Amino acid sequence: MAARPNRIAAIVLVGLVALGIIIAGHQIRNSRLSKTTSPAELFANGEIRIGVDASFPPFAFVNDDELVGIDIDLGRAIGEALGMPVRFVNMGFDGLYDSLKANQVDILISALLVDPLRQDNVLYTRSYFDAGLVLVSNPDNVIEDMGELSGHVLAYEFGSSADSEARRWLRRIHPFEIHPYERPEYAMDAVRLGQADAALVDAISARLYLREYNDTWDAQIHYVTESIFAIATRRDRPDQWRVVNRALQTLFEDGRLDTILNRWL
Amino acid sequence: MLKKSTISLQKSAIYLIKNWRWLLRFYVAWWLLSLILPTPQRVLLGPPQQVEAVKPHVCVHTRLIDEVDEWKIQQSLKLVREMGADTIVELFPWPYAQPSADTFDWASFDRIARHAENQGIHVMARLGLVPEWARSDVDSDFSTLNYLPDESFDEFGAFVEAFAGRYAGVIDHIIIWNEPNISFEWGYRQVDAAGYTRLLQAVYARAHAANPNVVIVAGALAPTLEPAGSPNGLSDVLYLEELYRAGAAEYFDALAIHTYGFTQAPQAEPALDRLNFRRAELLRDVMERYDTPEKPVYITETGWNDHPRWALAVRPSQRIGYTLDAFRWAEENWPWVKKMCVWALRYPAPVNSYPDNFTLITTDFQAKPIYYAIQAYARGLERSDNLWLPAPIE
Repeated sequence: MAARPNRIAAIVLVGLVALGIIIAGHQIRNSRLSKTTSPAELFANGEIRIGVDASFPPFAFVNDDELVGIDIDLGRAIGEALGMPVRFVNMGFDGLYDSLKANQVDILISALLVDPLRQDNVLYTRSYFDAGLVLVSNPDNVIEDMGELSGHVLAYEFGSSADSEARRWLRRIHPFEIHPYERPEYAMDAVRLGQADAALVDAISARLYLREYNDTWDAQIHYVTESIFAIATRRDRPDQWRVVNRALQTLFEDGRLDTILNRWL
Repeated sequence: MLKKSTISLQKSAIYLIKNWRWLLRFYVAWWLLSLILPTPQRVLLGPPQQVEAVKPHVCVHTRLIDEVDEWKIQQSLKLVREMGADTIVELFPWPYAQPSADTFDWASFDRIARHAENQGIHVMARLGLVPEWARSDVDSDFSTLNYLPDESFDEFGAFVEAFAGRYAGVIDHIIIWNEPNISFEWGYRQVDAAGYTRLLQAVYARAHAANPNVVIVAGALAPTLEPAGSPNGLSDVLYLEELYRAGAAEYFDALAIHTYGFTQAPQAEPALDRLNFRRAELLRDVMERYDTPEKPVYITETGWNDHPRWALAVRPSQRIGYTLDAFRWAEENWPWVKKMCVWALRYPAPVNSYPDNFTLITTDFQAKPIYYAIQAYARGLERSDNLWLPAPIE
């Protein structure tokens, strides 16, 4: 019985040692990351080689033999923020990650969805766009989430992920009427023309459509799902990730990221 | 206070050293806990089922062989049955069943056959891939799982014979190899129709001896435009001609075709320099020139893709419309087609790239709209010809 306080103290001691090991490991990792190295030292070629698949407007595409789009402007802005020249390497979507692994490029900016299966080899930065599904509704009849749809009319593109999401919600809540269309633009037309209460479409389609009707239609947009786009860097080069992520964070905070997105979407 | 706590820590450390048995107990407990694994989910076959199919040519290619959990095989096959397809195409890799020359292990094949039979689904088995022991003479840097040297044709024939005999009455259609007209599938060698003919010859008689009702299906040719002499492969149409000239007609009972629509509608005209759904007609023309008219065709891979990033994809609405039109086209115009199998029901894990957009069901078993559309067609539940509403008018 007399040994019990000592036993408790021993358990506490073991816990403290374990905690100490965890904290020390974290500190060592942070100290490695925070070694002051300039971007020029981190990118050995004297430039940032950016892998991009220029077949996905408005993120990246070829116009008059020139690469243009959100990913191109974002790459240039990151280069400026780091004081480094950038060079875009255009390739097929399937080759992007292989080229990063094979050291043909330093980073990938190509509307890449964060892929959990690749995180053994790749570090993703913070997101720069969310291409998830959004509800588009009229200002006098705002529908903010799928749970509010009962008794309303929902328009969407037939066969798309919006269609799947609508079917899922039809099993969950009181019925709502569905209006499938061939294209997402037609679904938004239906809302604008009062033939449906909300359209469920991806955020890219929604923003592209609303650019056209920005002056005449005060549509309300609310996110329903997430599809996060991020920049990919090599996992074995955490310092590159750190500086690129920091540059992206700066662009986000000072509004330059929004300016780029608004230029194209 | 500091002195007190230091003394207390010292005492604790001494206590731990003196009572080393506690440390040992802690270690043993941790080791035992680490051995705890989730119990495998119990899978019961349940009563035998039947497929309610009003469109007997509807079929789907599955990817069951690499499933770890048996319940996922069963769930996949239930969804095939509920879709109204009475046939699947499935890969049965030779190395899985014969890991060494004198060892057979049929367990992974048996569970697929067992569940398919219970769901009332016929299986067309695609046999391929080569165990290491059957290609041991090849330098390991060069050797691939698709490399089958001529010297091993006899071993492959013995495997096909064993397979045909074991699954007679359950699996009566055997597809020999996959896409031998592209070099990757031919072990990164120059494709060789005469060599593939010898492979068919090595298996044909043995398979029929083991199961007199077996249907040996040749080809599963890849749709490609590669010209003669290309290191990547050879046009499926040209390859099929070479196959017949090499005398293959006697060694297969049906031809398997892979035909994808890519960005074109199923009605698009076929041509030698174009890849589209009706390319199957060009292959049929070759068959009619060289073979008996009764020899049937099985389309063992077909479909459209709706990935937003793939250059050969279409919109989701088009994918569904084209797929249904393709089924109707085959039903109305191709009496020689016995089955038309969509690639693919589901993958065991997501690829997170365009191949995911060939599937009918997500990895977590969420049926996509295209699944319901094929189900409505296959089971005769279609209410209207219009899949979507007309565009709103201002």
